[in-house]
Amino acid sequence: MPTLIDRRRFLRGGLLASAAATVSLAPAQTEAASFEGYPNAMGVLVDLSRCVGCRSCEAACNKEQQLPAPEKPFNDFSVFDELHHGQKRRTDETRYTVVNRYDIPGREHPLFRKIQCNHCQEPACLTSCFVNAYTKTPEGAVVYDPDVCVGCRTCMIACPFLIPTFRYSSAFKPRIMKCVFCYDTRLTKGLPPACVEACPQEALTFGRRSDLVTMGRQRIRENPSAYVDHIYGEHEAGGTAWMYLSPAPFDQAGFDTSVPKEPILNYVKDFLGIVPMVLTIWPALFAGFHLLAHRKEKMQQVNKNEGEV
Amino acid sequence: MRTFIANNQVIPITNHLRPDGGRWTIREKLLLGLSWDQYRAQFLRNPVNWALCFVFAVGVPILLQRYLFGLGSITHASNDYPWGLFLGFGLFGMVPLSASGFLLGTTVEIFGRKDFVPIERLALLNGLLGYFFAVVYLEVDLGMPWRLYYPMFVSLGPAAVLFLVAWHVATYLSVQIAEVSSAYFEWTGWLKGKRFVRSITIGLTIAGIILSTLHQGALGALFNYAPAKVHPLWLSASFQWIHFFCSAIFAGLSMVIVAGALCKRHLAWRCDRRFLDNVDQCTLGLGKGCAYALITYLVIKVVGVAHDNEWAYLLTGWGRYFLLEMALAVVLPMCLFAYGVKHRRVGLVRWAALISVLGIVWNRLNTAMICFNWQLYREVPHWKEIWVTVTIFALYFVVYRFILYRLPILYQWQGEK
Amino acid sequence: MRTPPRTVLAAAVLLLAGTPPLPGLALDQYDAPETVVIDSLARLYQPVRFSHIRHTKLARCKDCHHHTTGQEDTDSNCFRCHAYSPEASIVSCKDCHTGKQFYPEQVAAAGNPNLYHIDKPGLKGAYHLNCIPCHVKKNAPSGCEGCHALTDAGRAFFRVDSKNRGSATP
Repeated sequence: MPTLIDRRRFLRGGLLASAAATVSLAPAQTEAASFEGYPNAMGVLVDLSRCVGCRSCEAACNKEQQLPAPEKPFNDFSVFDELHHGQKRRTDETRYTVVNRYDIPGREHPLFRKIQCNHCQEPACLTSCFVNAYTKTPEGAVVYDPDVCVGCRTCMIACPFLIPTFRYSSAFKPRIMKCVFCYDTRLTKGLPPACVEACPQEALTFGRRSDLVTMGRQRIRENPSAYVDHIYGEHEAGGTAWMYLSPAPFDQAGFDTSVPKEPILNYVKDFLGIVPMVLTIWPALFAGFHLLAHRKEKMQQVNKNEGEV
Repeated sequence: MRTFIANNQVIPITNHLRPDGGRWTIREKLLLGLSWDQYRAQFLRNPVNWALCFVFAVGVPILLQRYLFGLGSITHASNDYPWGLFLGFGLFGMVPLSASGFLLGTTVEIFGRKDFVPIERLALLNGLLGYFFAVVYLEVDLGMPWRLYYPMFVSLGPAAVLFLVAWHVATYLSVQIAEVSSAYFEWTGWLKGKRFVRSITIGLTIAGIILSTLHQGALGALFNYAPAKVHPLWLSASFQWIHFFCSAIFAGLSMVIVAGALCKRHLAWRCDRRFLDNVDQCTLGLGKGCAYALITYLVIKVVGVAHDNEWAYLLTGWGRYFLLEMALAVVLPMCLFAYGVKHRRVGLVRWAALISVLGIVWNRLNTAMICFNWQLYREVPHWKEIWVTVTIFALYFVVYRFILYRLPILYQWQGEK
Repeated sequence: MRTPPRTVLAAAVLLLAGTPPLPGLALDQYDAPETVVIDSLARLYQPVRFSHIRHTKLARCKDCHHHTTGQEDTDSNCFRCHAYSPEASIVSCKDCHTGKQFYPEQVAAAGNPNLYHIDKPGLKGAYHLNCIPCHVKKNAPSGCEGCHALTDAGRAFFRVDSKNRGSATP
């Protein structure tokens, strides 16, 4: 992949130039160029082969995050048949996590998949936010600060997993609603998030992300017939803290397999590199055009003046 | 305004001095020299005003509802489609249509094409109002509109594309206010201000080019954040910013052509000879620019498809839709522009401009809404969302017209300058 | 007959302490209690009255107890080390599978390359991962409340008493 490397190098050059041109941009961008995740960041490994769709995680999340009461109780399994615009249930302002059922042709039993914020290593929501409302903490959580959020919802556009949601129902206190890995109530105390603790099947394994990758590989190696040989989230969107193992192809279990294997940030780096170039080159270029275009007039004026003298 | 056309041969209030020698008061200037009753009579006579009143009568309560009960009360509150018409049309559509200001500024001030001077101020005003109302749309759409200044002063996220958009639109808006202010200073008679603005025109114009290049591009680059959501035919990550920038060129020029045509047809009482005599020639010149910009755009769109090797998509339903957009919104106006300019058919150029204006709005709606989440479902906006979009546009129209009626945009100020 | 689990455990420990573990002397079903009340985790659900004797007729010891009963473990991953492991001093689930799971020390230890069983489920996981697949396979009750009814705390947790009470189908 020589072209890719060249592009990267070129990019880095562009970023350096931009850092030189605009001092305020420097720290954020140079860090972003080489950031590979916090070493001791936590994560969760979700094993779809274990999930039985009991929805305990949903109930636990609702309680822990003090979210509004659901329309149907959490032990009502008819929600798995709900479709909205032909889509299965998703996160919204009343729920940070949901479990959906996938009936996969050829499989005797359905698969269940829990969705929540995947807590990316280089989160798209964070990099797209123009007021720095998001923070990736060293513990691995992507947390949100409602006090600076403007409500532009670019994070919702940017999130490749369709996770952040907006409290549209409020005119005076709207905010982004999203899973925060139980950051302030649990993660900072070294405890697993509420959903993990609630899971009876231990379909959710909490640990250091690096250990979880090893563990995931081990499960695949020890039971190769039970899993697809891929950990979803190891590289998706540049790597996520929450990762998945699945016994069936990921796209059949509702995963978006078109999510790029690099941070979303990489897609805008090219443009961000152009900014300082335009800022510095355009004035000279167009001032030059201006001088060229008006040269004749000036010359004529000079000639006229000379003639008059 | 038919009264003016019927009764007066000269255009009203182009000077500080009344025909009887006194000075016009501000009130008289605002009422165009008419009495209050005369003004109201002409207002009520115009059916367009009745239509506008109807739009506002329904739209304003809906807007109130939005501010009292939240965005969810007038939209579908979709988490899959966080950006609806307010941004899809209001921001992504209005901003390219407002590129006219910097384009004509560049043409006249930088390239020294004095033949476009008669239409320059119209282009500047068109730019200013377009941007201003893009911000108005933004204020409808933002969850916390009262925090609009946060990215500037409270919490800065300089590595985000939207940060560039915010800063550049804000600074460019001030640049445009400065550029248009000379017309205002003439009208109010504050000449110091005008001389000052005149002295920094080149600086303002170049600032305008920089800021426009970057934020027009940045609006495109915003979609780079959603590489898995926008259909690949509408998103080529490497060229998205330049696609948006290039299309803004013909969009802005076309918008001036359309505005010029409307002024010539419906505001002739307000235009002086310089405008009326030159607008056709200017239209042809702008049309030529449009044709060049369109062919460039077409080529770089094809390059975008080729670069990402997306040919296979062209054979799908989405591909046919893409080809339809290319045919109707790019190739058709391009041919009309080229033919119209070559054969000096001004009417044809004006139609081409209208098509390309609609075409660019279509393209932006496609990118932001229709081809967004192409693997999910289509979201049809709530009727209230559509109505509010129309209401803000009507407000834009009213303000636009209000200024054209009064400030020396379509005519030259006769008093001291 | 209901035997409190503590008594069973004590009995088992006494029994094992008195007899040195010999490969030939595997525990068999007759050494086991008839009923075990599983209540150490009961909070949202009532304790489970587990009829051990009934399950010994449906499954082999090692199906649930791995190699600890002295039966030869045939799981290829366990077999690598435990092919000939004798019966162990502890057989009860909760003596290996901790009630608390993912506590900081345990999470830190998971990175230790010399540690085996880094992927060992906690007690709750061990119970459910062991019971449910077999219940599903044998068409035994596999819904949550098929084995243990909700407590009041559980009903509150699952918001059973909120709206749409009637539509709940546990």
